[in-house]
Amino acid sequence: MTSAVASNLLSDLLSGPRPAEWEKLREEAEARLARRDLPTTSDEDWKYTDLKALAGITFGPAPKATVDISGHLLPEMVGTRQVFVNGHHAPHASCASAVAAGVRFLPLSTASEACHALGMVGPTHNQSPFEDLNTARFEDGAVLLVPKNMKVALPLHLLFITKAETPIAVFPRLMVVLERGAELELVEEHHGKGTYLTCPVVEIRLAEGAILHHERVQRDSDEAFHLGTLKAEVAKGGQYHSRTLSFGARLSRQQPWVRLAEGAEATLDGLALLDGAQVADTHSFMLHAEPHASSHQLHKCIVDGHARAIFNGQVLVAPKAQGTDAKQQSRNLLLSETARVDTKPQLEIYADDVKCSHGATVGALDPEELFYLQSRGLNADDARNLLTYGFAADVLTHIPVASLRRTLRQLVMARTQAASLGDFA
Amino acid sequence: MLSIKNLTASINGTPVLKGIDLEIRAGEIHAIMGPNGSGKSTLGKVLAGHPSYEVTGGEVLFEGKNLFEMEADARARAGIFMGFQHPIEVPGVSNASFLRLAYNKKAEAEGRDELDPLEFDDFIHGKIKVVAMRSEFLDRSLNEGFSGGEKKRNEILQMAVLEPKLAILDELDSGLDIDALRVLGDAVNTLQRADRALLIITHFPRILEIIQPQFVHVLSGGRILKSSGKELALELEERGYDWVLAEAAAGGAR
Repeated sequence: MTSAVASNLLSDLLSGPRPAEWEKLREEAEARLARRDLPTTSDEDWKYTDLKALAGITFGPAPKATVDISGHLLPEMVGTRQVFVNGHHAPHASCASAVAAGVRFLPLSTASEACHALGMVGPTHNQSPFEDLNTARFEDGAVLLVPKNMKVALPLHLLFITKAETPIAVFPRLMVVLERGAELELVEEHHGKGTYLTCPVVEIRLAEGAILHHERVQRDSDEAFHLGTLKAEVAKGGQYHSRTLSFGARLSRQQPWVRLAEGAEATLDGLALLDGAQVADTHSFMLHAEPHASSHQLHKCIVDGHARAIFNGQVLVAPKAQGTDAKQQSRNLLLSETARVDTKPQLEIYADDVKCSHGATVGALDPEELFYLQSRGLNADDARNLLTYGFAADVLTHIPVASLRRTLRQLVMARTQAASLGDFA
Repeated sequence: MLSIKNLTASINGTPVLKGIDLEIRAGEIHAIMGPNGSGKSTLGKVLAGHPSYEVTGGEVLFEGKNLFEMEADARARAGIFMGFQHPIEVPGVSNASFLRLAYNKKAEAEGRDELDPLEFDDFIHGKIKVVAMRSEFLDRSLNEGFSGGEKKRNEILQMAVLEPKLAILDELDSGLDIDALRVLGDAVNTLQRADRALLIITHFPRILEIIQPQFVHVLSGGRILKSSGKELALELEERGYDWVLAEAAAGGAR
């Protein structure tokens, strides 16, 4: 069954003019969208994530805007940043003067050589409507190319900022290509104000032996809808390590898809801190396509108020992917009676010589842990706050950019009431 | 300092302690020994205020105050410390931050000055020498990924930081090799003072050769069956527990 309200959302969003370039890609996406509707909770994949609230809002096109980014600058990356506001490149807010020679870190609109590669990562079917919406309507985005064997010393900073006076829809786009043996750290942040729909699409292609560390921070506004897609293909011996930290948005969904070739490695860690009526959904797909690859997923949620977290972790081990080592952990902390978590591992294993493990926990704080801290003189509230902080901060420990680590620890401290305990960070 | 009178306690309705009497004075070292399941760890947890145990009778006075009117954290701030048999791991919270927090909570309760991170850094580096801990353990998350021995070392470090009046050490020797046991036993001896009492809970007499108690009590079936001097530990080493149980049974039948 389709609903009239839902149909309007997709067609309204497509009613504007089709932006220039990538004509064929956009037409194909439009054609797919024309045949479908917004997912509803009767779709198995969207069972717990209700888009009704989204369907009731009319989102207009995103105008160019200027923002003050001084609060978002990180000292390690002041000269290696690209900023996009409402999906448009913001040249005056960006500064790429310290980007290593040879690295191309540019707006997509000025990097036509990346044209042919766009839209080519991942399967060419089963696109979510939000990915297709992005493909059909994105105005600009970032392209990042690192040449063969280059180990980039400075991390790169990508800021997607949305400023919505009235409800708008934005379609951030990111294409990352690391050639053979290249290494890079990338920080991708999403911030915003007002009511908006953002549908970022990230495509990553790592050639043989390339290593990408990818920190993803979602701090969208409390009224925002964030429906993101990430696709990464990791060639032989390559490594993709990502950490997605979700703090904001009224409703967010992350759909990472990773394909591992022989001996490749992937980390897909996640943290969601939810309160009020927030909903955060992660549907991940880890494809072990070839032998001897390893993957590691630790997904943590702290859910308070009547917020809701959803985790669906699919791992597929192809018949020839012998020697696969796949680990998945979903750990959830419920801080209120009305908070809710739905977590589901989904392992499909077609090879016989594999090590696959998964585990899921949902619960309140452990009384033994509370007792331990109380036996050291912390009162019950302090003990609870410290454990809650630690549960979240655990995911932040290995963030390589010190200023980002510090900022996020302070954010977690504030959100977990741990600030009352003094300075930890 | 600690006066236990006819203490009974249960867990989930099952009685575990069935009438314990024990007097501990400042400067004394007591050992509680007994077979597995005798209730000796329960005694430690009840004194420290573990919420799973229900005190069903008797009284415990700590420096004249009713212990059971205090929550676990208030007991800790009043000067009771329990070294855990199985210390808990707390990921995401650095050992140094946690130690400073615990130190400052106690200092605050005692009206002493709190230490800022720099002052605490000096303070803690003096303390880790006592337990021969490498300083990198301060930066790691509290007990996370620590070996059994490292966790026990960290318990004694916490004791050194918190300077308790009464330290209850539950199975300090479990999971320790003989060298580590020697180091931690010596550390506990170094920390012992005339105004501090120790209650050592252990299954094996080995640790009592290093931390030498003046009083040894054998606990079984939730009761203290026999109390004597440190020579009792040697006798238990040679003869095991059965004879104490048999003697008590004979005594009870008489």
